[in-house]
Amino acid sequence: MKRVLAVAANTYRETVRERVLYNLVLFAVLMTVSGLLMKQLSIRQDERIIKDIGLAAMELIGTLIAVFMGVGLVSKEIERRSLYPLLAKPLGRSDFILGKFAGLGFTLLVNVAVMTAGLYLTLAATHAAFDPNLLKAVYTLFLGLLLVVALALLFSALSSSLLAAVGTVILVVAGHFSDIIRNMKQVAPGTPDWMAQALYYALPNFRSFDLKSRVVHFDPVAFSDLGWITLYAVAYLGVVLGLALNVFRSRDLL
Amino acid sequence: MKLARWAFLLLVPVAPLTQRQIDARLGVYRAQEDALYLTGKQLRRLAPGFEDMLADLYWLRTVQYYGGQRIWGGGHYELLAPLIDAVTDLDPRLEIAYRYGAIFLCEKPPVGAGDCARGVAILEKGVGNNPLNWRLRQDLGFFLFTFLDDSKRGAEVLMEAAHLPGAPFWLESMAAQILYKGGDRETSRRIWKGMYDQAEEGPMKYNALAHLRYLDALDEAEALMRLVRAYEERTGHKPESLDQLRAAGLLRAPPVDPSGTPFVYDRETGKVSLDRKSELWRPLE
Repeated sequence: MKRVLAVAANTYRETVRERVLYNLVLFAVLMTVSGLLMKQLSIRQDERIIKDIGLAAMELIGTLIAVFMGVGLVSKEIERRSLYPLLAKPLGRSDFILGKFAGLGFTLLVNVAVMTAGLYLTLAATHAAFDPNLLKAVYTLFLGLLLVVALALLFSALSSSLLAAVGTVILVVAGHFSDIIRNMKQVAPGTPDWMAQALYYALPNFRSFDLKSRVVHFDPVAFSDLGWITLYAVAYLGVVLGLALNVFRSRDLL
Repeated sequence: MKLARWAFLLLVPVAPLTQRQIDARLGVYRAQEDALYLTGKQLRRLAPGFEDMLADLYWLRTVQYYGGQRIWGGGHYELLAPLIDAVTDLDPRLEIAYRYGAIFLCEKPPVGAGDCARGVAILEKGVGNNPLNWRLRQDLGFFLFTFLDDSKRGAEVLMEAAHLPGAPFWLESMAAQILYKGGDRETSRRIWKGMYDQAEEGPMKYNALAHLRYLDALDEAEALMRLVRAYEERTGHKPESLDQLRAAGLLRAPPVDPSGTPFVYDRETGKVSLDRKSELWRPLE
C-alpha cells in the first residue's frame, strides 16, 4: 500500500506540473462564469444555463484531462525509459499501475472540486439557492472520469501514447452512444440481437454516469440510484484495471 | 518597415469591409440556417450527454434571432419555428421555450410571427412532453381561445389544466366563462390578468401588460364614443374634434390612450380608435 501511495503521490506531483491542466480548468471555470452574462439574453434562464454549462464543462474538461494525461501514464514512462529504474526497485508492476491510477484520479478529484467550487460561486452570484443535489451529478461524473482514466491506463499499458489516445477516445465516444448501440436494429435491421446486446453490456456505459439533466430539472435522485451507479463503476473499474495489470505484467520490458 | 506599416494599416479595415460584402451576398443570418437542416433530433444524436447545454445554446440563439428580426429584420421570422422546435427536441422539458416560443409565434407582426397555428402546435408538443405541467395546458387553453377563437377547445384544455396538481383554483371557472361567454372583453381581461399575475418579470409579463393596456384603450375608446353620442344628442351634430368634448365639459382628461398617444377620431362616423403610431395599436382580426 505504501508503494502504491508513493507512486500515486509522484504521479499527482507530475500531473499538477503540467501547464495545460491549469489552462483547461481555468477554461472550464470561465465557461461557467460566462453564464452570468446570460441573464438578459436567455430570458431569466441564467441559473439553469450556469448549471448546464458548469456541469458540461466539468465533464468535457475532465474527460480531456483524463484521456490526454492518462494515455501517457505508462507509455511515456516506457518511451522516456524512466520506468526501468523504477521496476528495478522493490516495486511490483501492480503497485505501479494502481499508483498511477490513484495519482491521476486524485488530480481529477482536485480539479473537479475546483470546478464545483467555481460553479457554486457563480450560482451564488446570481442569488440562486444552494442546491446540494448538484453534488450528486458531480459525484457520478467523477466516477465516469475515473473509468476514463482506467481505460486510458489500459491502452497506455498496451501501446504508444498516440494509439492509446485513439483507442480511449473511441471507447469513450462509443460509451456515450450506448443507447444507439442498444437500439442498433432500428438503424441496421440485419444486426443480430445478441450482437447489439453484447456490445451494449461490454462497452462502458457513460450515460449511466450522466445525472446532469436530472439535477438541473430538480428531479429526485435516490441514494439507492447512486449506490447502483457506484457499484457499476467499481465493477467496471475492477475489470479494466485488472486487464491493464495483466497486460502490463505480460509486457516484456527488459 | 514603413511599407509593412502601411500594409498593416491598409489591411485593418479589409476584414470588416469584406465581412460586409459576404453578409450582403449571403445574408446576415445565414449562419442560423443550419437550424433548417439540422433538426433537434439529429442534434441530440450528435451530442449525447450534452443535450441540455445544446438546448441552452439554441434557446439563446432563438431569443437573439427573435430580437434581431423584431428590431432589424423587418419582422421576418421564418426560422423561429424550426429553432423553437430544435430547442424543445433537445430538452423536451424546457418549459420557457414552449411558453415564450408560442408568444413569439402567435403575436401579430411586427411583434411576432403571426403564425398562431404553429404557436399552438408548440404548446401542444409541450403538453405532450410534459403531461403534468398545468402551466403549459393553461397557456394552450388561453392561446386557443385568444388567438384561434376556439373557445370550445380552449375551455376543454383549461378544464384539463384545472385538474392537474398545483393548478390555481380559478382555472375551472375561467374555463366555464370562456365556454359560455365566448370572446367578450372581460373574459379576455381576466385571462391576461391571470397571465400577468403569474409571470415573472420579463417579456411574458410585459406582453400580458401590453394586452391589458390594449383592452383598457378599447374601453376608453368606447367611452369616448358614448360621449360623442351624448354631445350629438345635446347639440344635434357630432363634435369636430375630441377636444370639443372637453370644451363642452363632457371630458376632463385629454383624449389619449394609456400610452399617452391621442386617439384618432372620425368626425363622419363618430368612431374613436387607436392611432397606428400608438405602441398599443394592434392590427384587427
